[in-house]
Amino acid sequence: MKLPRGLPGRQELVLLGLLIGLLLLAGRLAPDFLTARAQIELSTHVWELALLALPMTLIILTAGIDLSVGSTMALCAVVFGLTFHAGWPVALDAALALAVGAAAGALNGVFVAFVRVHPLIVTLATLAAYRGIAEGISLGVPYSGFPPSFAFLGQGSVGGIPVPGLLFLVALAAVAVIVKFTPLGLTLSAIGYNETASRFSGLAVTRIKLWLYTGSGLTAGVAALLFAARRNTAKADIGTGMELDVITAVVLGGTSIFGGRGTLLGTVLGVLLIHETREFVSWEWSRDELNLIVTGSLLLVSVLADSLLSPKKR
Amino acid sequence: MTTLRDLLTRQREYGVLALLLLTLAVVGAINPAFLKIGNLRDMLVQDAPVVIVACGMTLVVVLGEIDISVGSQMALLATVLGLLTSPSHAHWPVATAVAAALGLGTLLGLINGLLVTFGRMPSIIVTLGMLTVLRGVSLALLNGQDITDLPVGLRVFGIGTFLGLPISLCTALVVVGLTVALARETPLGRRIYAAGSNPEAARLAGLPTPRLKLFAFTLTGFLTAVATIVHQTQFSVIQAGVGQGFELLVVTAVVVGGTSISGGRGTILGSFLSALMLGMVGSMLIFLRLGVSATYWERAIQGAFILVAVLADHLARQRRPRREAAP
Repeated sequence: MKLPRGLPGRQELVLLGLLIGLLLLAGRLAPDFLTARAQIELSTHVWELALLALPMTLIILTAGIDLSVGSTMALCAVVFGLTFHAGWPVALDAALALAVGAAAGALNGVFVAFVRVHPLIVTLATLAAYRGIAEGISLGVPYSGFPPSFAFLGQGSVGGIPVPGLLFLVALAAVAVIVKFTPLGLTLSAIGYNETASRFSGLAVTRIKLWLYTGSGLTAGVAALLFAARRNTAKADIGTGMELDVITAVVLGGTSIFGGRGTLLGTVLGVLLIHETREFVSWEWSRDELNLIVTGSLLLVSVLADSLLSPKKR
Repeated sequence: MTTLRDLLTRQREYGVLALLLLTLAVVGAINPAFLKIGNLRDMLVQDAPVVIVACGMTLVVVLGEIDISVGSQMALLATVLGLLTSPSHAHWPVATAVAAALGLGTLLGLINGLLVTFGRMPSIIVTLGMLTVLRGVSLALLNGQDITDLPVGLRVFGIGTFLGLPISLCTALVVVGLTVALARETPLGRRIYAAGSNPEAARLAGLPTPRLKLFAFTLTGFLTAVATIVHQTQFSVIQAGVGQGFELLVVTAVVVGGTSISGGRGTILGSFLSALMLGMVGSMLIFLRLGVSATYWERAIQGAFILVAVLADHLARQRRPRREAAP
């Protein structure tokens, strides 16, 4: 992570250019799309993705990956719904769901950091396992009927800003401060560039990885609660494919999948670009499959351009 | 001295085979109907697509790459196959449509390979992008409508038999045989392993690593088309969700079968056996008569299998001196 630089890098500028281009096009084709009201309304779809992209950026910086976030969301949502239907107080249910998320993340962390299995394998296994447990304990039944006080978490707004949005901004600020003003940011890049050297330099690689994956699980718990509050339903199939959306956003944001290189600003722009593209395509043509084609092509073209433009490595 | 324990942990194939036989024995003892020829055949037929694609995927992973787009490739190929043959759409002769599907599969694999080698992009990103795009294209082609009138001439690939064995099963066995021979006996196969286990040495020795990767991706695309032709034709309908999550089944089978995700190590036989093992879980839960709710735990158990395989590997490695090369 390039810390001292105040200026955005090339990838960020390209994303910013694409974003502005998209918004100009949108403003021309559908002026209503650009109104603050429409944008706030549409933003409800993005917060879970945006939240999950924060820990994912840090994990990919260390040359790791977490494929289990969508399944962890499902597990947390089902735990929340199940305990709520058992008649437990809603605050306790939420706390339990978050604890389960953190525990699920910690299990990934233990396998990655201590057992030293490739994160792709570990989280591929827990991608199946966590969703399997969610399906097993809920038997595929949806839970609903949550109280309005809980729904506020997903649907309410403070001073015009949706509650999930506030939550995201606080999380973003916290992560940005930690990454910019503590050695952690540099440490993460160091691990991503050369893990062995980092270990020999005395960096707490094992502990940091454990915390990163635990944080990712906890964030998935938060995302699950936001989803349940927004839709007033919790079922074992929520968050399916979420991991791919999150990784797409992070990689689109210029974070190298091999670790070491990446910025939070890039990730935020990546999330924004994906979000605005999808919402605009749905708004204008209301065909979801176009979204898939556009998002996938965006990823391929941006990474291909980056690879062809950068000097030849290897 | 080679102890049984060493044998089981060092060669993953033996470990998986032992687990496979143990599961068959235990479930068979509890419910003999599990071992009836009919059920065994059904299980094998169900595993056929995973087995077929895993043969190509093993070579891709041995080369240190990955292809997570096979599920979406299958979706697009099934959709195209359906649209081309269905009397209410293009109504092509079955043979032409099948050839077109094989060609398209090969082309998709080739595109993946070209982006990875000449585009110099990480394969996980390339195939993640393709996963998304191809899913979108197949949904757009289907346009929200299932294809329900597949001609009998096409369905024969899915429901027909050859010498008493289902065609999909025969195809899977032939594919396993051919790819095992390719990997073990041909210079091409040996080069793939050489390039995967030490890319730097392979480069210095003049091995054409990009071309080997191109071959592995193209083969995987072709085999995905083969799997689509013999598997999706078992059903009378081709619908939107076809092949979703299929890539995870294939990658899981390859990894549990002992192929190292960082390349160089792993066999097709291992992938084959672990595909059978993982495919058995669902059927096992039914035959153990644990009640209807037990089947909901299938994915949890499959996930647990991977973690156990990974842990066993870790423990086995700790008992031997480390011989990991520096990157």
